[in-house]
Amino acid sequence: MHRELQNMLPITIFSQGGNIVMTILLISVILIALSALLNLYSPRPLYQQASTTILVTINFLFIAGFLWICWFHWQIYLKMPLELPENLIAWINRQLEVINRSSDYGMELYNAASPPRYKIPFWIENEKYYFWFMCYGIMALLVHFRLQSHRFRAMLHLFLALQVAILYFWVDPFSSPLPQFLGEIAPWYTPGQSMAAKAAGFMRLYPKMVFYYNAEYMWFHPPLLFISYGAITIIFITSVFMLLKRDLLIEKIGYVYAKLGFFMLTLGMLLGYPWALKAWGPNWWWDPKICSSLMMWAVFSTYLHTRLYANKKSMWKFTALLGIICFLAMIFTFLTSFYFPGEHTFQ
Amino acid sequence: MKLKSSYDFYLILATTVVLFAISLISIYGMFYFKFAQIHQMDPSLKIMYMNRMNEVVAPFIICLILLLGICVPKRLLPTVWLNRITLILLACVVPIGFLYGVKAGLFFMLAASLALQTIVFLMALAGSKSLYFHKKGYWVRLGSSLIHLGLIIFILDLFFYANKTLHLVLFWVTTGASILGMVFCFYAESVVNLVTGRKTVSDENIT
Repeated sequence: MHRELQNMLPITIFSQGGNIVMTILLISVILIALSALLNLYSPRPLYQQASTTILVTINFLFIAGFLWICWFHWQIYLKMPLELPENLIAWINRQLEVINRSSDYGMELYNAASPPRYKIPFWIENEKYYFWFMCYGIMALLVHFRLQSHRFRAMLHLFLALQVAILYFWVDPFSSPLPQFLGEIAPWYTPGQSMAAKAAGFMRLYPKMVFYYNAEYMWFHPPLLFISYGAITIIFITSVFMLLKRDLLIEKIGYVYAKLGFFMLTLGMLLGYPWALKAWGPNWWWDPKICSSLMMWAVFSTYLHTRLYANKKSMWKFTALLGIICFLAMIFTFLTSFYFPGEHTFQ
Repeated sequence: MKLKSSYDFYLILATTVVLFAISLISIYGMFYFKFAQIHQMDPSLKIMYMNRMNEVVAPFIICLILLLGICVPKRLLPTVWLNRITLILLACVVPIGFLYGVKAGLFFMLAASLALQTIVFLMALAGSKSLYFHKKGYWVRLGSSLIHLGLIIFILDLFFYANKTLHLVLFWVTTGASILGMVFCFYAESVVNLVTGRKTVSDENIT
């Protein structure tokens, strides 16, 4: 990490605080996973009171960590304005005017009294996993209170444990916060830069700030999708149980989360559309992520349609199977960003 | 009523098959995009790829639009009339398609669906009992009509892609209709409670 950024931002404090949260989270999910494994193989419920307490603690920790992330982003907003030297302002504004004339969506001119600041959403880079798994954690808690089946609860807990393990070992948002963003912005704060380097740096950073980091759609499109991902995980667990036995309550709970998931997914995808037009122009249709998202939406839509007839003997298992395919489609869609090039790529 | 129910069931199965086919084409598109390295190509070649994929998916979108065209009047008409109207619609679409092109035929189908769906929506809004829905309840029916109205406008809106202002206005109409539709449809009970100020519990509130 650049020394300048270390001096400007409370990165060390953020990481230390986050590591405490993550460590307690990991210990909590180890305990809940042990209880879940015992319950999965036991004919009668075990440690239900304790697992409820741990689940509540996990959610409390998740929310505390999320607030900690919010605080860090607030520090970025306060301490990292893109300030230009006075003698560059007129030149930069002329360039922006030229760009704005040939574009449907312009960028605001530089104002020395109020330099542009980063309003980074709370779900970029590794933080998106944190938000996604936190949403699942909250949903798992709500389902845990609604359903008494100890095996079903055990599956909910095991999934939560798996997600926290992924978070802790591979995508911890605290140990190395926002590496891509800070890597992009670090050269801007290097002291002793020439005017040309400063101007080039601004023209590189400012459009991405306007159309990506500060885009208003960023506050709706990704979080709605991550909420739907959490709901689809619940649908997956209910669908697996539907395959094993005909339990109407489990099916009903699956449907409650299917409604929520479909609502969030559709809204999230719709809100991505005007953003894509604004940020990428017309050449993004049939992008791999768009393809996979359409595929997932089509599968989800099919699931909701067949679910109307779930009580028919032949449709019960078919609906359950579609719920499972829906989850697999979600995983596939998410991984698309890593393995397929395109506008959404994380590569 | 049994006939109607099985009609609905087969329409849903047909929709499922078409959606599945569109899913498979989407997966094919992804792999083609990756292995042909479309992202590194010139914009004109990218547009060629987009056009080619549009051609591949077009028959299935046509099927989807036709299914939508058949689905919409089922809310209004008994099964006997439904078959007749479906035949009349298809009888209009085919010659229009031959005379003025596939696009014109589809546009006619969508315009007819829009007109019929608007009638369904207005009747649902007025609380008409003569509509045929799989589920009961004022808000569920209103929501379902709105979702389908939104979907029709969304597909129709693709015809106006070149006209940016109209395209975006229609897009936001679609979004509004879909959101309201889903809220009414999925959370009918809460909407009833909110509107009436009473607490009601129904066994189910789904489309």
